[in-house]
Amino acid sequence: MSDLTLNTKPARRLTRKSVANNLFSWALVLPAILFLAVFTFYPLVNLIQLSLYRGNITNPYKTFRGIENYIDILVKRPQFMTTLKNTALYVVMYVPICLSLSLIFSVWLQKARKMNNFAQTCFFAPHLVATISSAFMWSWIFSPESSGIANGLIRLFGFNTHNWLGSSATAMVCVMIMNTWASIGHHALIFLSALKSIPGEVYEAAELDSSSSIKTFFKITLPMLSPQIFLMLITMTTNSFKIFESVRQMTGGGPGISTKTVCMFIYDNAFETNNTLGLAGAASIVLTIILMLITLLDFKGLEKKVHYQ
Amino acid sequence: MQQLQLKRRFVNYLPNLFSDLLKIACVLVFIFPFYWMIITSFKTYGEAIQVPPTLWPKNFTLEAYHNIFSMSISFWQYAQNSIIVTAGVIILQCLIMIPAAYAFAKRQFVGKGIAWAVVISALMIPGTCTYVPIYMVMAKAGLIPSLWPQIIPHGCNVFGIFMLRQAFKQVPDELLESARLDSATEAQIVLRIMLPMAKAALITICLFSFIGTWNSYFWPLVMTNNDKYRPLTMYIERVQDADVGNKWNQVMAANVLLVGPVLLIYLFASQKIIRAFTYNGVK
Amino acid sequence: MAEIRFEKVCKFFDKARIIEDLDLTIQDGKFTVLVGASGCGKTTLLRMIAGIGPATSGHIYMDGRDITDTAPAKRDIAMVFQNYAIYPTMTVRENIEFGLKNKKVPKAEREALIKEYAAVVGLTDYLDRKPGTLSGGQRQRIALARAMVKKPAVFLMDEPLSNLDAKLRVQMRSELIELHNKLKTTFVYVTHDQVEAMSMADVIVLMDKGRIMQEASPEVIYNDPNNVFTAQFIGTPPMNIIDMPDGNKLGFRPERIALSYAPVQGDFTRKGTVLTREMLGSETLYKIDCSGNTYMAKIDDPNFAMGENVYVHVANEHLYFFDAEGQRIREKGNETLFAQLLKTAGGMSNV
Repeated sequence: MSDLTLNTKPARRLTRKSVANNLFSWALVLPAILFLAVFTFYPLVNLIQLSLYRGNITNPYKTFRGIENYIDILVKRPQFMTTLKNTALYVVMYVPICLSLSLIFSVWLQKARKMNNFAQTCFFAPHLVATISSAFMWSWIFSPESSGIANGLIRLFGFNTHNWLGSSATAMVCVMIMNTWASIGHHALIFLSALKSIPGEVYEAAELDSSSSIKTFFKITLPMLSPQIFLMLITMTTNSFKIFESVRQMTGGGPGISTKTVCMFIYDNAFETNNTLGLAGAASIVLTIILMLITLLDFKGLEKKVHYQ
Repeated sequence: MQQLQLKRRFVNYLPNLFSDLLKIACVLVFIFPFYWMIITSFKTYGEAIQVPPTLWPKNFTLEAYHNIFSMSISFWQYAQNSIIVTAGVIILQCLIMIPAAYAFAKRQFVGKGIAWAVVISALMIPGTCTYVPIYMVMAKAGLIPSLWPQIIPHGCNVFGIFMLRQAFKQVPDELLESARLDSATEAQIVLRIMLPMAKAALITICLFSFIGTWNSYFWPLVMTNNDKYRPLTMYIERVQDADVGNKWNQVMAANVLLVGPVLLIYLFASQKIIRAFTYNGVK
Repeated sequence: MAEIRFEKVCKFFDKARIIEDLDLTIQDGKFTVLVGASGCGKTTLLRMIAGIGPATSGHIYMDGRDITDTAPAKRDIAMVFQNYAIYPTMTVRENIEFGLKNKKVPKAEREALIKEYAAVVGLTDYLDRKPGTLSGGQRQRIALARAMVKKPAVFLMDEPLSNLDAKLRVQMRSELIELHNKLKTTFVYVTHDQVEAMSMADVIVLMDKGRIMQEASPEVIYNDPNNVFTAQFIGTPPMNIIDMPDGNKLGFRPERIALSYAPVQGDFTRKGTVLTREMLGSETLYKIDCSGNTYMAKIDDPNFAMGENVYVHVANEHLYFFDAEGQRIREKGNETLFAQLLKTAGGMSNV
């Protein structure tokens, strides 16, 4: 009888039925666990292995180098640190802008009106489109020729054409614009559904307390949204750290390597250059550690400020 | 009374007017890249690279599309690959995550805690560079010239297991008990009871998978070295003409072909899609 | 302290006409209760006074000033919401002083006010706690303190006690009455509970479907209802209403019924059988069937048993008459008609 009910622990005696039940349950979860083992855990271990050797794709373990690879990328050769710096700059630029814009949009589009629904729908569309497509769209917009619409616009104001994606000052900014455009709608949507959980009466009480809309936003709305903001901060930061497709397509890492990101470094060293697989492995591990640290720091540092109701 | 009401309504609307105009302006700015992409695809090459750029094609032409379809690389091959890979991923993920989510939600078994810990920790690991080892595994298994490397590695959707487990947990245990008393097999329970009640969660998960797989560029980039197996996302760059410089009208045409289906579906089902994205697991 | 006057106020939501052409004066300094079933428009009226749910047309005056288009914050009112609406991310102190800070009240004055009113509601020891750590009753007090600290001319309350448990509700009820006696400010209180209305109000405004059914003190509403709706809304169990042969209606309260085993001559007497008996302690409720009509009786004597034959008797002075539309027919001014009605009532006796 006890094997038919669900919430009791399996019978202590090893009845045939309980053994069969356990085996069956394990059969249900085993595929998932196997896949995770092969495609999530094993690669991590393998990367550590690879990072200790010098080799390439066809012959990954040519020579053992120990931690030489790590010293190489962190100290000896400047390329990795440059890409790290580029990526960090991008993240520091992108995250605050995208986060604040998403917040502002979500509060702006809060009320359930037809105009707001329409605007939400339009702002969300770019998120559904492939990153590579957006990259192409915006590469065309930022084309260095006079036929590019961005150049067309500034020429209207009397300026000369600018090589948007080829000049180190503007290249990363353009990539950031494209990514902001693509993701604002999605982030605003998440904030919007969080905003819905704030009871309207709180805003009415604030109105009666002579609170201006700006004051209400900073003293009431923002603190109540802090759990979502804090979660969003983590995902945004880690995701933007991994940026690859859009940069590679729009700037190719150039000019020079001024826009090359960490993931591009890893990719190139794994597939493009010879005998550098170990460097790619080392860089992957360093990146993983950095991301884990960021997540931990975020959790610790912001948990104090978050008001969980 | 009517007039008074209309006047009041207009006066009540007035403060929103400026804000609404600003919203329309923002919408136009947001939609512009799509608009620009579409009309460029309908221009001749000459007009596309014209200075200053025209906001509306002087001559509407299907030249770009013609050129694409007459190229040696087959558009249909790429499209087919995208479809097969996307369908494959969704099916594989369903096959793996549904039983697992069910077991974690409704079954007790020895070692359940350990198994769950494994799943959770997979969620925590930032899977940034797993592609390198996976590529080598696939190469060794001789699977690189095929569509399999694009499907198999994505087989376990951890996020999906998570969400589905949550949805399954909301099904009352009594339903399952009475089904078992009616001699239902486990498969029947899952198919007839659990899945229908978790429909919203399942649709959300599949939608995310669909969009993620259809739009993926990086993974196929790594896992393919032959046009025969490449999906639509990689089609656009094939269409660039290296000699003459970027043939933007052709590139945009290819882009339209990739983006078109998604935007079209979105046009008709925007509310449902948005609702799926804001589904937070609680009814 | 302020008098509030509604003049030809209407509220439409798209096509739905919630309130149409309503006139009402809420007296200065009194505890006025707006009571009625859900959807009758009482909360709508309250929100109109606050300014957070503006009228579609009509005017609202406070002490003679037209406040119809004035911003809520400038109306010199304070409101306590049903779900408290306190700011969950601020401490109790910050909740109370939020409004004061926005009005640029100097710090010293703020501190004094907070100290005073925190003591009045008994939250002095909780000033630095967050609302999430406090009970429902304590949160309600935060909302109260926040309202009081503004020293408004009018206090508005939207079913503030309905989320509290029964015991706390009774306690808070008397505290609110004491508060009103102390402050002597105009209180406008919304509730759907007629017991609450009866126990707390100086003036009851009974509403039904956007119209005012009666506006009077609890005693008057109870003893001298204007219509059938009022007669049956106030009082538990409600007044017994039966149709008379001439189309009018006759009513009498359950506690005015006398039950006996022998018939009593004169007035209104009917023979019937006891259907149910509920002994409530100090009094007993009987449901009595008199050839088709069912009456509820509420008397001291618990000795009548189910199934017994009894005689229901109501003295003439406790009979109420209503016309076919449910409007009350009073004796004053209708002496002849009234005598006729009494006769008809007597004729209905079946001793």
